[in-house]
Amino acid sequence: MSDWSAVTRPIPVPNEWTKPFWDAAKRGVVELQRCQSCGHFQHPPYATCTQCVSTDLKFEPVRGAGTIYAYTIMYHTGDKRFASAVPYASIIVELDDAPGALMAGNLLDAEYTEAKVGRRVEVVFEKLNDDITLPQFRLALE
Amino acid sequence: MWENRCKIAVSGVGYSKVTRSAEIPLAAHALTAVKEAVADSGLQMSDIDGLATYPELPATGHAEVDGISIVSVNCMMAMLKLPNLTWHIQVGSVNIGGAVQQAVNALLAGVCKYAVVWRAMHNPRGTYQNLPSGNAAGATQFTAPYGFGGPGQGMAVAYTRWLERNGQSRDKMATLAVTQRKHTQHNPHAYFYGTPLSREDYFASRMVAYPFCLFDCDIPVQGAVAIVLTTADRARDLKPTPAYLAGYGERLKFEVAGRIGSLADYMEGGASSAKLTWERSGFGPKDVDVAQIYDGFSASVIYGLESYGFCREGEALDFIQDGRIELDGELPLNTFGGSLGTGRIHGLWHIIEGALQASGRAGSRQVKDVNVSFVGASAPIVTGTTFIFVKEPY
Repeated sequence: MSDWSAVTRPIPVPNEWTKPFWDAAKRGVVELQRCQSCGHFQHPPYATCTQCVSTDLKFEPVRGAGTIYAYTIMYHTGDKRFASAVPYASIIVELDDAPGALMAGNLLDAEYTEAKVGRRVEVVFEKLNDDITLPQFRLALE
Repeated sequence: MWENRCKIAVSGVGYSKVTRSAEIPLAAHALTAVKEAVADSGLQMSDIDGLATYPELPATGHAEVDGISIVSVNCMMAMLKLPNLTWHIQVGSVNIGGAVQQAVNALLAGVCKYAVVWRAMHNPRGTYQNLPSGNAAGATQFTAPYGFGGPGQGMAVAYTRWLERNGQSRDKMATLAVTQRKHTQHNPHAYFYGTPLSREDYFASRMVAYPFCLFDCDIPVQGAVAIVLTTADRARDLKPTPAYLAGYGERLKFEVAGRIGSLADYMEGGASSAKLTWERSGFGPKDVDVAQIYDGFSASVIYGLESYGFCREGEALDFIQDGRIELDGELPLNTFGGSLGTGRIHGLWHIIEGALQASGRAGSRQVKDVNVSFVGASAPIVTGTTFIFVKEPY
């Protein structure tokens, strides 16, 4: 299992577009940007709806259940902050409530070999500091 | 069809020495490549009146120093002091293929007569993707905290999706790496000239970012290549046989910054560029005699073959088997070795090879009876462009 204990993750720097996402994560909730005009969820946040170009966008809570859309297993140790965790799975997840909105994460509490396209996962939260909590993923309990 | 079909041609081409690390300033590489391309055309430097490049270094966390880590148009102007210069451009959004296309447009507009396009690539000291910051700002705030560091991982996630959705095996990619390395042995300018690669080498190599092993990734190098473009009538009076440009296209679809791992993004980008190129040239995938498809990471070739229409989605790794991409195969592919053979110089070398194959100047790697020569000059993911060069300007 990848050992994350010695990894120093880069700390996300929220901006005017992304602050609601990080504020929600701090409360243990995933909120994604949703177009109030056509209902489309999108991630990462953007100035306009990427479907209908509406600017009427709000963050709405979504459930943390989803599937692995894609993944890679990192072996390269060029990034020293993550070198102690290799090999580790970096995954892309599509949440059931937000098709097409792809979230990155790591597969926690599982062997990296468990990462497969289509595998069910659920959100867990990893507190980085008092300001930032990171949405992460683990295999869904059946 | 395009009203300017076959009105512009590639004439001379030039190369600097390709080295693993920076032994001399990058500007010296660029200068060598440009001088060689001009000489190959049989022109004098004073004939050159147009300059274009895409100078970006695709590494992270390294200082940008003109002449050392990039070679801008300003740098080239300062070095060459061209007495008759009338036009130049440095493109930012469409990679080196976009610089070539702008040079084509300038020639068609009559604002220059002989344009030189170069691509110079630096290999910085230390880690290529050097991410020292403790913070992840901008688009990286959603990716960097999870260990997504460089473009390789972004390509790798789409590759796993492609593999597992299509029930495919990465083992089949060995054919691409080995065949391209075989082609490389006919290209003395390439970094891996003189270094063959076996299937065993491929399977024994270390994993970088699964499904990419070492030989799925082009090696960072220091070097430069250049071409001379001119109008078809002028090209006919020059030394080399011209390679006529029958059509070109560029990617028309983009997803927002920071989105990662979308296979559809690559496919739609590639398809939009190819559609323009097929329509403008009047050719289709079945007409193509030889193809160069950008291969900075091996999986780019999959997205290229499928999105350009050479095979159906999910079939590219089967398509490249059984000798089809050999020099005497049905679709000889990356006949100069590709970026996997030359080292990381980006797509101008693919354009050079496309032009050389069309003009019959590819030496011992020349494919027989080439008329239609296709180029996908950069991966669909990174601002793809596509070109068709032909021998016969009909």
